[in-house]
Amino acid sequence: MTSLVTARGVSKHFGPVRAVDNVSFEIEKGRILGLIGPNGAGKTTLLKALLGLTDCDGDLSVLGLDPFRQRKKLMQNICFIADVAVLPRWIKVSQVLDYVEAIHPNFSRSRAEELLQQTKIKKDSKVKELSKGMVTQLHLSIIMAIDAKLLVLDEPTLGLDILFRKEFYANLLNDYFDEERTILITTHQVEEIENLLTDIMFINDGKILLDSSMDLLSEKYIELMASGEGAQKARGLGPIAESEMFGKSVMLFEGVSREHLEGLGEIRIPSVADLFVAKIKEARK
Amino acid sequence: MINHYLALVRRELWEHRSIWVTPLAIASVVTLGTLTALVFSGKFAQELDVAIFAAQNLAGDTERRVVLTGFFFVSSQLFLLGLGVLTIFYALDSLYAERKDKSILFWRSLPVTDAETVISKLLTAVVLIPAVAIVGIIGTHLLNLIVTSIWVSMKGGDAGTLIWGSVPFLDNWLAMAIAIFGMAIWMSPFLGWFLFVSAYTKRSPLLMAFLPLVLIPMLEGIFARSTHFAEAVWGRGAKIPLFADMDIEAFFEDGPPEITKEMVSLLAHMDLGRFFTSIDTWLGVIVCALLTTAAIYVRRFRDES
Repeated sequence: MTSLVTARGVSKHFGPVRAVDNVSFEIEKGRILGLIGPNGAGKTTLLKALLGLTDCDGDLSVLGLDPFRQRKKLMQNICFIADVAVLPRWIKVSQVLDYVEAIHPNFSRSRAEELLQQTKIKKDSKVKELSKGMVTQLHLSIIMAIDAKLLVLDEPTLGLDILFRKEFYANLLNDYFDEERTILITTHQVEEIENLLTDIMFINDGKILLDSSMDLLSEKYIELMASGEGAQKARGLGPIAESEMFGKSVMLFEGVSREHLEGLGEIRIPSVADLFVAKIKEARK
Repeated sequence: MINHYLALVRRELWEHRSIWVTPLAIASVVTLGTLTALVFSGKFAQELDVAIFAAQNLAGDTERRVVLTGFFFVSSQLFLLGLGVLTIFYALDSLYAERKDKSILFWRSLPVTDAETVISKLLTAVVLIPAVAIVGIIGTHLLNLIVTSIWVSMKGGDAGTLIWGSVPFLDNWLAMAIAIFGMAIWMSPFLGWFLFVSAYTKRSPLLMAFLPLVLIPMLEGIFARSTHFAEAVWGRGAKIPLFADMDIEAFFEDGPPEITKEMVSLLAHMDLGRFFTSIDTWLGVIVCALLTTAAIYVRRFRDES
């Protein structure tokens, strides 16, 4: 496996506030990583550090480059859509294509035009004349026409309706992703992307709470729905979280083998959302 | 490298349409003025016939040059004034608008450094807008001379002699080009300041740019009883060392002056050597470079979240 991103003891603080606190991780080629965290957890700051938009302490390498000091070179092989990165309203669709074609060595105009033909976007329209969904389609068409090694999406579907959100991720998977490309996504709508992810990382208060592949996740975490004596016995195995549902106890276990829980109740693979809530609550205890 | 900057500067033309709309508007006003003058002059048909006859047969080449150079000079001043004001607004908006409409992260997601972006905006102000002004001036002059030639011909005059033969085209246009680019370099510290304010301020760039330029001279006057800052800032435009000094007293001492072709030549009154050897020119360039560097750093290090 080849590491595309390597972070060792990366920190970023704003005065006394540690937005990112001594985090270490690696992102390998050909993966789709979901970076999940509550508001103010440090996701955006970490992404900015990865994109070279902010300086940080520690060792951070993206595609073998120092992102802050070699940002121009890095941006030739990275694309990103940020929740606040809106396309300028005054620009025409054809002008965006002209501009990106002129300054980006890895941009294929024919590919972008091919993708735009599948939408209702007209080339002589200005961005301000397009709906929010169409602006995102335009942005995605540009991004997908860039032969980049790493795509960073920071809340890319914020404010879009469910149809556009589904279409966005379908396009991303079908027309863009392959084993040579890596995608890093942050979103609050984790249920919508958990089936796409190969890896997941939880972040809270600037610290990484969980960094795992999705395959290992289903082996390491088990959810048990039990009542009565089964629930009593399960409680003795030390669940990391417990809640009530339909009069039954729902318990989440970490590192407890399936054999120990069998016979105590109904065993399920926890959803990423449930796991996330449990890990955050655990961290805040 | 050059193509890269051309793409960045072309982007400025897309965003700031006033860069080419303003010269068109000034050209229209000047041409409309000429047409109005020609139409209204029809009321004085007899006097005009005499004037055209006199201009053709009595006035010398030099006198005709004086009249046409006067027209060239005044219409060029309109462009200088109009595009000067435009440049102030352009520079103040150039790094502020991208933060205001939140498109800055899109621009920064592409392989263009902050230095390249800011320098492209400086180049737009110092090279592109003056170049557009010069093209606008030449276009306006030609258009107005053609209109006037048609009118003179309709009045029975010889446009070839009266207008085209008397216009010192190259002299006038070269002088205008030197004056406009010279003024852009001379006033470049202000451009650097406007770019810095545009990158730095969170609101009202116009107010934030001019407030210190007004307040500091006031405070200097009150507390230091001096006017150094006011002279350096507000008096700079008039001090441009681009024009050769004329000895006005010697000009008039032997009775009414005799106007020669050299006197009408705008180019003959310019002194490029003086401009480029003036310490004030280079001090201005250094101040512009420092403020532009500050604007680059602000764009690079500011956290937009």
